[in-house]
This record gives sequence, C-alpha cells and structure tokens, in this order.
Amino acid sequence: MTAADPPALHCRGIRVTYGEVTALADLDIAFARGAIHAVVGQNGAGKTTFARVAAGLVRPDAGSLAIDGRALRLGRVAGARAAGVELVHQSFALPPSFTVAEALEFGAGGGIGVYSRRRLLKRCRERLAALDLDVDPRRRIRDLPVEVQQGVEIARALVTDARLLILDEPTAVLPPAGIEALFERIRSLKRHGVTVILILHKIREVMAVADTISVLRGGRLVAGPIPRERADEASVAEMIVGQAAVGPVSADDTQALVGAAPVRGVATHRVPVAASPEAGETVLQLADVNTAKDPEEPPLDRVSLLVRPGEVVGVAGVQGNSQRTLVKAIAGLADVTGGDIYLNGRRASRTSAANRRALGLRVIPFERNSEGLSLTSALWENWSVRELLQQPLFSFVDPAALRRRCDEALETWGVRYASATQNAGALSGGNAQKVILAREIDDDARLIIAAQPARGLDIGATAFVWSALREAAGRGCGVLLISSDLDELFDVSHRLVVMLSGRIVAEFVPPYDIAAVGRAMTGAST
Amino acid sequence: MTEFHEFMVAILRSGTPLVYVTMAGVIAQRAGVWHLGLEGVMIIGACATILGIVLTGSFPAAIAIACLLCVAASVLLWFVIEKLGANPIIAGLGLTGLGIGGTALAVQAIFGSLAAVTAPFGVPRLGAAFGPYGALSIFVLMMPFVVWGMWVLLRRTRFGLRLAAAGEHPLAARSVGTSPANARLIALAAGGVLCAIGGAELAAGGLTIFAQNMTAGRGFMSFAAVIFGAAHPVGAAFAALFFSLVGVAGIRLQLLFGASIPHDVLLSLPYMATILGVWISGRMRGGAKAATEASELRDY
Amino acid sequence: MSGISIRAGAVIRTLAFIVLALALCGVVFELAGYSALLMLESVVEGAFLRAGGWAQSLRWALPLFITATGVAISFRCGFFNIGAQGQFYVGAICAAFVADVLGGAPAALVLPATFLAGMAGGALWALWPGYLRLRSGTDEVITTLMGNFIAALVLVYVTSGPLKDPSGTGQQAASPLLPAVYRISDSQGISPAIIGIAAAVALAMWVLVNRTPFGMLASLAGRNPTMVRFQGARLWTLGLSSFLISGGLAGLAGTIELLGPTGRIASGFLPGHGFTAVLIALVANLSVVATAVVSMLFGGLASAALYLPILAGLPAAAIDIFNASVALFITAKSGLLDRLLRAARLPT
Repeated sequence: MTAADPPALHCRGIRVTYGEVTALADLDIAFARGAIHAVVGQNGAGKTTFARVAAGLVRPDAGSLAIDGRALRLGRVAGARAAGVELVHQSFALPPSFTVAEALEFGAGGGIGVYSRRRLLKRCRERLAALDLDVDPRRRIRDLPVEVQQGVEIARALVTDARLLILDEPTAVLPPAGIEALFERIRSLKRHGVTVILILHKIREVMAVADTISVLRGGRLVAGPIPRERADEASVAEMIVGQAAVGPVSADDTQALVGAAPVRGVATHRVPVAASPEAGETVLQLADVNTAKDPEEPPLDRVSLLVRPGEVVGVAGVQGNSQRTLVKAIAGLADVTGGDIYLNGRRASRTSAANRRALGLRVIPFERNSEGLSLTSALWENWSVRELLQQPLFSFVDPAALRRRCDEALETWGVRYASATQNAGALSGGNAQKVILAREIDDDARLIIAAQPARGLDIGATAFVWSALREAAGRGCGVLLISSDLDELFDVSHRLVVMLSGRIVAEFVPPYDIAAVGRAMTGAST
Repeated sequence: MTEFHEFMVAILRSGTPLVYVTMAGVIAQRAGVWHLGLEGVMIIGACATILGIVLTGSFPAAIAIACLLCVAASVLLWFVIEKLGANPIIAGLGLTGLGIGGTALAVQAIFGSLAAVTAPFGVPRLGAAFGPYGALSIFVLMMPFVVWGMWVLLRRTRFGLRLAAAGEHPLAARSVGTSPANARLIALAAGGVLCAIGGAELAAGGLTIFAQNMTAGRGFMSFAAVIFGAAHPVGAAFAALFFSLVGVAGIRLQLLFGASIPHDVLLSLPYMATILGVWISGRMRGGAKAATEASELRDY
Repeated sequence: MSGISIRAGAVIRTLAFIVLALALCGVVFELAGYSALLMLESVVEGAFLRAGGWAQSLRWALPLFITATGVAISFRCGFFNIGAQGQFYVGAICAAFVADVLGGAPAALVLPATFLAGMAGGALWALWPGYLRLRSGTDEVITTLMGNFIAALVLVYVTSGPLKDPSGTGQQAASPLLPAVYRISDSQGISPAIIGIAAAVALAMWVLVNRTPFGMLASLAGRNPTMVRFQGARLWTLGLSSFLISGGLAGLAGTIELLGPTGRIASGFLPGHGFTAVLIALVANLSVVATAVVSMLFGGLASAALYLPILAGLPAAAIDIFNASVALFITAKSGLLDRLLRAARLPT
C-alpha cells in the first residue's frame, strides 16, 4: 500500500440527526484498504449510525462518502452494494423463516431471478464451502445457533463480492471461543483483500484483532485511525469514556464497562462478598426444574439453583441457551413440567404469576421495550401496573394518587422526564430502564431477576443499574443477574453459574477465571 | 356421471373468483400487508366489468377498465397504509366499504336505480370442446396456471424471496437494497389485477349481472383462505376451493333434504367453514402463544 | 400543559383526516356525476338543520353510542372485535324471543328479562370469537366478520320462520310489532328511558375505563400484552371480559332498537350499525367522552342517509361512502400529516 492509494472508505463531514438528537456530528474519517479497522465507542456514540450511513441504509443530512476514491450516492443501499460495501447487523438481518440457501440467494442480484431448487442448493453449498462454513443449506435460519447465523449473514454479505465489510458489534452474541473463530474468519477475509470495519465496544477484543483503532464519542471522532501498535488500553479507555462521565463511576466498573479488564487471571477483580448470606435461608430455590418443549429455546433440563438473601448470583451463557425460559419459569410464565420452585422458602411451582409477585418476586426483563414497558402508554401507567394487579380488577382506583406516587418514585430514582403523563417511548434507554427499576425495586422486593439490565445503556446508566442492584442486595434482596456480558457478571456477582442448552453446567466463585467460564459456556469443559 | 360434472362445474364456478382474490391476498400477505380490502377491490372489479361491457360493448375494454380501477384502489390502500401509517385492518375495511358504497353509487348514478345491472354477454366461454365444462369462462381454465405462476414467483425466484423478506424482516430487505414500501406497492398493485379478474369472474363468469353488495363476504373468505393456507399459493388456493365446496355441498344438501334444513343455515356453511379454517391454522401455529403476539400490528 | 397540547394535536389530526375523507368523497361524487357541494349541504341539512333534525339524529346516535363504547373497550384491550353488527343482531334476536315467549306477562317482568336476554345474546356472540382468540390464537378479525354474516342469515331465518309476522305483507321478513306496553319509546325513538339507559352506560363505562384496574390494565394490555403478562396479569380474564362487555353492549343496543324505535326485528335492519360503531370508537380515539360527541355526528349522518333520497333525491350510499372514507384514513398517524402540521407549527 502506498500513500497515493485512495482510502477504502472516506467520510467527509457526515452529519446525521434524528429529530433533536445528533447521532453523527461532522464525522471525517478515512480507512485504508486491506486492513482490519476497529471503531469503538460507548452506546450512543454513533457507531451503528456510522455503519448504516456507509451501507446506504441511513441518508445523512450533510457530508459525502467515497469508496476507493469514487463518490457514492448517499442513502442508497443498492449504490453502496454496487461499490462493494456490505453490512452485517448486530441482531442479524435474515428472515427467520428462510432456509440458509434462500438467505444467501435473496440479496444475490436484482430482477426476477428464477432458480431451481437443485441448482440453488448446489450454488449455496459451494459458497459455504468457500467460506469454510459447515451448515446444511436446507436448514431454516431460526433453527440455527447464533454463531452459525452470523456466519450465514457474513456469507450473505460476501455473495456480491464485497470489498468492504462492516460488522456491527459482531461479538455481542458470541461466546469467547466463537469470538476467536470470528476473528480468525475476519483475518482470512483480510488475506483475501477484503477491508473490514469492526464496530466494537470492548478494548480487549479490539486489541486482539484490529490493525487500527478509531474512537467515537457523542457522534464525533475523538481519535483515529490509530495503528494498534501505538495505542494502549488505558488511553483508549479514557478516550471512550471521556472525562465528564467518569465522575461517579468506580475504577473497577469503568474497566469492566469498556472491557479493558485483563483477559486472563483475576488479579485486579475486586472479590465481591455477599452482604450477610445467612445459611439455610433462601429467597429462591429451583430443584430439578424441567420445562415443556418450546420452539425458541431448549427447555430447562433439571435446573437447580439457589439464591440467598443479600446475594447476587450471576447466570452466564451464550444467548439462546434457555436464559429466557429460566426467567419465565421463575416468573410463572413457562410450562414447568417437573421439579419445584421455592420463593422465600414457600413452594411456588403451582402459584400464579400474580401471586409470585406478591411473594416479593420482581423481574427486570430481557426486552426493555416489549416485556418491560409499554412505550405507547404513559409513564404513570407503566409504573402503576404492579400496584393495579394487586387489587381486584373491578375496584375503584384514583389515578391522580397513582400519578403523584409515580412522580415521587421517579424522582427518587433520578429519572429525567417531563411529566408522568408522557409516553414511556419518549425516554432514552437509560431513563426507561430507571423507570423499570423504580417499579421493580421496592421495599417489598425479595428476589430481583435482572436480565441483561444494562444492555444498550451508556456508561453512566450502566454503573447506576449495577449500583442499584448492589444496594438492593445490601438491603437483603436476592438478585439473579442474567447476562451474556462476562465483564458485567464478574464485576457484580458474588457467585456465577453457567447455562448451556437448558442446563446449569458449572458454578464459579471469585476470583473468576475467564478462560474457564468461557470453556463452560461453549461446553468445552464442565 | 353428469351429476359429478355438474357438481364440479358448480365448485369451479363459485371457487374461481375466490382463488383469484386469494392469490391477491397471498402476495400481499407475503409482502407484509394484511389485505382486508380484498372485498372492496373485488366488488370494484365486478362492477367495472359489467358496467364496462354495458357501456363499451367490448369485453377486453371492460376488463382493462376493471384492472385499472382495481389497481388504483389497491394503490390508494398502499398509500394510506404505507405513507400515512394507517392500520391495515381498519384501512382495509374502509376500502371495502368504499368499494361497496362506491359501486352502488355508480350504478345508481348511471342507471338511476339500484336494481341489478345485466350485461348482454360476459367473460368468453370455453366452448363446446370442453364438453360439460364448456359453459365455464376462460378464467377458470387460466386459474391453475395463475396459481402455479404465483407459486413459481413467490417460491422459486429471487423476486419472491425479496418480497417475503420485505414482509418478514424489513431491515433484511433494506440491507440488500429492496425498499419494503416499494415491494408492498408491487404486491398490492399485482393483487389489484388479480382482484379485477376475480371480480370479473364473479359477475360475468356465469350469469352476467352486477347487483349491489354482490361479493357478500367473498373477499373476507379469500383473506381467511390466505391465513388457512399459510400464505402458500397452492395451499391457499385449495383452502379457497374448500370453502366453495362447502357452499356448493350445502346447496346440494338442500336439494336432497328439502325444507327440513333451513335454507339460511346452509347459506351460512361457507362462513362457518371459514371460521373452522382460521381456527385450525391458529392452532397449528402455536395456539395460546399467539394471544400475545402481533402487538405491533394491533397497536394502531 | 403538554397533555393538553397532545390532546389538541389529536383533535386537529382527527379533523384533518375527516376533511381528507370528505375530499375523497367529493372526488367520488363528482366522478359519479353528483355535485359534491350539494351533497354536503343536504347532509348537514338532513342531519341538523331541518325541523326535528336534532331529535332524529339523537334517535340514531344513542344506540350507536352504546355499541361504540363497547367496541372501544375491546379495541382498548387490543382486540379487533369488528363483530358489533352480529352481536347487535343476536342480542336483538334473543331479546325478541324472550319478549315473544313471555308475551302477555306484565311489562315489569318482560322488560328486565328482555334486556337481560339481549345483553346475554350479544355477549354470547362475542364470547366464542373471544374464546377462540385467547385459547387458540384464532384471528378475531375474521371470526367476528364471519359472525356478522352468520348472524345476518340467522336473522333472516328467524324473521321468516319462528318469529315471522303472520300479517306481514312487505318484501322484508320481520317479526310482529311489539305491543305498546312493552315498548320503551315510540317510533320517533327518543324517550326518557332510552336517554336514561344511554346516560347510565356512559357513566358506567367512563368509571370502568378511567377508574378501575380493569380499565387501566386493559388499555395497557392493548398496547403491550407482553409487558402486562410479564407483570403477572391474566390476559385471559382481561381479554374475555372485554369481549363480553363489548358484545353485551351491542346486544343492549339491539334490545333498545327492538323495544324502542323499530319495535320489531326485521331481516337486514340497520345494516351499517356495527361498522359505524367501530368508526365512532376509532374517531373518538377510544375515549368514552369523545365517543358521545362523535356518536352525535354519525347519528346525524345516519339520519341524513334516510333524508337524502326522499327529500334531496340523492343516493343514500353517499353516507356509506363517507363512513368508509373516514375508516380508510382515521388510523393514519404519521408521515405526511405530521410533517404538514409541523410545517404549520401546530401542536402534534
């Protein structure tokens, strides 16, 4: 590569605004051909928007893009694809009902494109083999494990001979071993002359694979592209977080947040100890719990689990290993076919969902925007659901009093909002999560299930959620923290179990060994 | 044997309009539109065909007018759903009302009364070469080919895959450069042509008459056939034929049993079969779970 | 503050779409060779300006209001129960049977029994689609629509069979006219009894929607059933109750028609009742108070539909077309109009 080569991707003055929010503010950046570039930043730094602009999915308000020196028409996917740009989405964009062969075919070209099943399968097998991807092209996307889905999506992106591949947070859904395999695949693409841009937020991963690093913050380029040799973790972490946000966040949390904590060994991890786990007393006990078959996840298979008051128990596992079913089984929303669930020492296997709530069960669900909140309903309605359900359906309630109490609770939790009558959808992710916390973490809570409670939150909000969970545990609540982010689990949990295909396969106590946990997550060891 | 042929003729005659309109529903459903306006587009097709024949005296001109109006109505629905963000169910029902009311108004405006309009001739017939089936229209003969063509288009072409992607996962479609909105426009417009043929067959395939509100729920039945057939062209076509089989069988039953079964009960058999059909397809797709699904759809 | 501006925005948006619907109607009328302006003039005159127009509009508005509040409840809960027409018919049929069987008994006995039967009949006709929906996920749009067709056929059967008026000579099959002792109004359709019932329904529904856990949870469930389920609510109870209430109210409206203005059941009577009620609920944005206001508007249109052909020589289908155009646009929410409103600096 000589200095005269035009960059693979050159952005000049890209600006994107969504309503009042500025996602990208005059971004200028150029990426050289034939290398692996990492773009890092917090949630909300504009990374995904940048990826979508480059792929033509988002039309910027201002600015220009050039691929290999040739200007690109903005906001046109077809144009970007013709220039060789492909994007692999964070939550993959493949229709779940499609077979692998169909998923590779549907974007392969324009026109009507008649095909025969046999020839399609043959073509598809060749492509998969070329990428060293071992999957039956007749299987449906929704039946595939996430790593394979990701592989298929990458194959889909390469169907048109992409020369610039952008991957948006590709590691978020993968176990440690899967991440290594992905990186190997990316290196092999680089050898074949493909330029790769990786959107990431963990410094450790960046250091493992990227040739250059660029840091975004608040929609602006803070630094980059910096060659990896000249970057060190501490300064990159500082650039990601910025000065202002560090204030209330502890140093340990910061390290966990940007994934800069050491990969192996445990030296710097503070060893959390349960406040006062009284032996014998439990807030949650699962004894050999089985659930009925479910198309979405493997059922629970003899799951036994114990949470004591004041204890944070982490549940690690790759997405889709029945963590959702676990939450549903405890909350009374899954079909439990065997075993027993005890809440607060009382047998609750046959207790209705509403009565489990009365026993002190609280749930911060996986999906904030569907399971946690009704975005098109007012804040006070969202906040009041739990109370409304404690009363007879046809009794008299005073909405004014509910609104008042909602205001009090939201203020206590520091939610930034205009009025209790505004819709929940108008809040930012962090504030929305605080509304859920305000509802779920009350004085009567005994067991809090927190499923990916910090997903999609910025650093300040994440630290807030973690400290709220720690405080609840400090007051004697049991907390079950389910996450696929090991840094989060290591930082907050007193104890850790690993789920794999509906079973609990391993248990760890601090100091945690990331390699061992990672092996357990993929079934490499038990 | 002649009785069997009569039976088949009756099923084909009542089933063919349903099948065409069902194909319109299938392609819309694949592209992600719950097409409850089928009834309205169909009646526009029926009315335009008859009025076209009466006013122009030419069948090709009449069917062209019908196609044009049905495509226009479908595009209007697309605009309201896609560009104005209206709820497809309510907007579809609105289009249905517009079709039923508009055709009644047109008949009254042109003929000064609401009485049924009779055309001197209808869709060209198959002719004597087809023996007992000679009185059927050419659209009946075309029907299997249209279903097969639809199957190829939706299940064996990249175009069909992109259409399905637009319906199932709009971001996936956008990622390969397909605009979901345009995909739906194409689907609805193509559905307009199919509804025009379905309506033409209904009004001018057997008798050549247009009466107020003559579709009588057939569009909705077609929609149910789409659901019953899981939006698969062949499955949905058979579902539509099944509904008409039930209707024809009901009429036969009455001939057999006379007045002992109330006439109106037999008339309601196709509607009951439709309910049965959607019930079965609901059960097949995971039963009670569906009670919490589609909240996005319902949050109008 | 913001609450008020949101509401003002919603009203402006609704009005804008009604204007858009009127424009579409105008195009259709002009295409059909009628003067759109004359049509509009005649409708307003027929609904409100002519002598007794208001009373006639109220006669149509009250049953519509009762059915529409019921529709609004099921829509609030997220269920597209568009079977109000069928529930209205079945309610009226059941009420007519009871009134027929108890014929001759004192009105103090017959009237309560008839009302009960009517509401039970309507609720029954909503129960099975509700059950199928909540038990097996059967799409309620289709089942309730098909229910409308079946109920209409049952009505034909009943009025030309078991309840046939022996003295009837007209083309339309109908049951015998009820004796005056059982009637709650004359054929003008306005009486203290009917106004009282409507007022009671309005009050009860307002309290139900705005002051009970049921009402609040139902609207939350309608917007996001998953979230409400995660909180431990039983969608089954919420959903089935809303189906039953909605069917029961349509049945009540049917009973009022039977005992009040119509005085009998007849095949195909009030054919647009259910659809209009759905529209009213949507135009009123599912609010009870707004439903009352909007019912008056659509009651006026229903009354004008009778007036048009007789006095202005215009087709009654005009009203159907207007209603349908409103349905086409009323749920539109985003895009062009918002942009226009923003451009005009109006609250959205």
